[in-house]
Amino acid sequence: MRRLEYIGTTAAQGFWRNPVMSLASTFTVGLMLLLFAFFLATDRGLQAAVGVLESKVELAIFLEDNARVSDVLALRASIEADPAVSRVDYIPKDQAMARLVDIAAKRPDIQIVDTSSNPLQDSLEIKLAHAQDAPRVAASLREEVGKGIVSDVIDNPQVVDKLLTITRVLSFGGLAVLAMMLIVALFVIVNTIRIAVHARRDEIEIMKLVGATDWFVRWPFILEGMLVGALGAVAATLVVLVAAGPVMGAMVNFIEILPLSFGQTFVWQLVGSVFALALAVGGGGAMLSVRAHLAK
Amino acid sequence: MIKTINVNKSYRGSVHALRDVSIDIAKGEFVFLVGPSGSGKSTFIRLMLREETPTSGEIYVAGKNIGQLASWKVPMLRRNIGCVFQDFKLLPNKTVFENVGFALQVIGRSKDVIAKQVPEILDLVGLGSKSHHLPDELSGGEQQRVSIARAFVNRPQILLADEPTGNLDPATSVDIMKLLDRINRTGTTVLMATHDHAIVDAMRRRVIELEGGIVVRDQERGVYGYGAQV
Repeated sequence: MRRLEYIGTTAAQGFWRNPVMSLASTFTVGLMLLLFAFFLATDRGLQAAVGVLESKVELAIFLEDNARVSDVLALRASIEADPAVSRVDYIPKDQAMARLVDIAAKRPDIQIVDTSSNPLQDSLEIKLAHAQDAPRVAASLREEVGKGIVSDVIDNPQVVDKLLTITRVLSFGGLAVLAMMLIVALFVIVNTIRIAVHARRDEIEIMKLVGATDWFVRWPFILEGMLVGALGAVAATLVVLVAAGPVMGAMVNFIEILPLSFGQTFVWQLVGSVFALALAVGGGGAMLSVRAHLAK
Repeated sequence: MIKTINVNKSYRGSVHALRDVSIDIAKGEFVFLVGPSGSGKSTFIRLMLREETPTSGEIYVAGKNIGQLASWKVPMLRRNIGCVFQDFKLLPNKTVFENVGFALQVIGRSKDVIAKQVPEILDLVGLGSKSHHLPDELSGGEQQRVSIARAFVNRPQILLADEPTGNLDPATSVDIMKLLDRINRTGTTVLMATHDHAIVDAMRRRVIELEGGIVVRDQERGVYGYGAQV
């Protein structure tokens, strides 16, 4: 109990002995954690988005008006034979029109002025098991264009492609940036604690002479490092909580189709991860610093 | 209490700080370690504290072979050894009481123990009335008394003193020697490295002389040197 009290007070004293340095490293750690939180949230969001889109990925083939029904059925059968395809639906042009009217009714920005004629074509809608197969299937279908059955191939999944690319770039780029920030944060903490150790080097010398254990010497510094980490985590969490709403709104508008919202569980996971990383970086950095000093 | 067998210590660059040093100091002895600068006195003291390990040979302190002591056991060894230095090594921002209490605090003693033992030891060294002063407010002799109090508050079996009177005038030095003598009479083994001829000659205790890392003399009731120039 007495030991805990000593360790706690010494750590707090250490933090405030050099407030500029402590706050600077808190800021750096906070920034790193913010990036970490953003990375986690974005990654999770994009994964969810890709998941949603993948389940919806469709190719559409518009059929020539005068295509023979037997040819269409044969084409449909051949498409269904492809293992990448999960489902093929035949959509007659009347149904397509009905759908369009339906959509228009829900959106004030679209109005269908004239419903007397139907310019739409019959189509086959193809559902794919995985988004990444879309380009290949689309390419093979394009070869059919102009042979009397298929008039056009629409492959919507550019959005998915884009998302997959963004996810990949964010995963690699984000990880790289995060790794760099982690090193910077670690470096700053190591230096902050080094200064704290230096300020107390006489005390440490005496502690060791009178038989204090290395752990007794280390703990206050490790705690000080963790304190820096924890304060950074609190700052980062506050920023995330304040900014989450607007940022999420902007993202939903940007990618449009994504009905994203993070559940309570994810928020707790996020905060938990941020604090865990903060304590690990703070404590770990301090540990490195003190170890270097004690080994001298 | 302290026993070394053929201890050698050499540093990189083939400096031989100690050669074949074999010394046996019994419990309760008072021993002077003398010799010119660079003769190996400080190295010997550092070996006792296991701040360094010998290149070869064996060292026993309080019955333990400290050359083979696991490093996590070193703190326990040091709790048996009190240390006093020429420069006192007091913490300037702590009071006399806190400086002495610090030695107990960092080995996990309770507040009650500190509150009881520190005044006792301060009375023993004659500083009972100055426990709330800062080191800066004390004379050199008083500061060294604080440092001795800190070294002795945990009642170690051994007291190592490295030039404890090096910064003090002769009259003050005599007081410090009286204090060390009193501590020795409680049964504590005292090993004191010194340059101070007058003190060694006056005390007439066992003298071990080092020169170039070799024990050149080990004499009961000795003086500083046969042909000591003053």
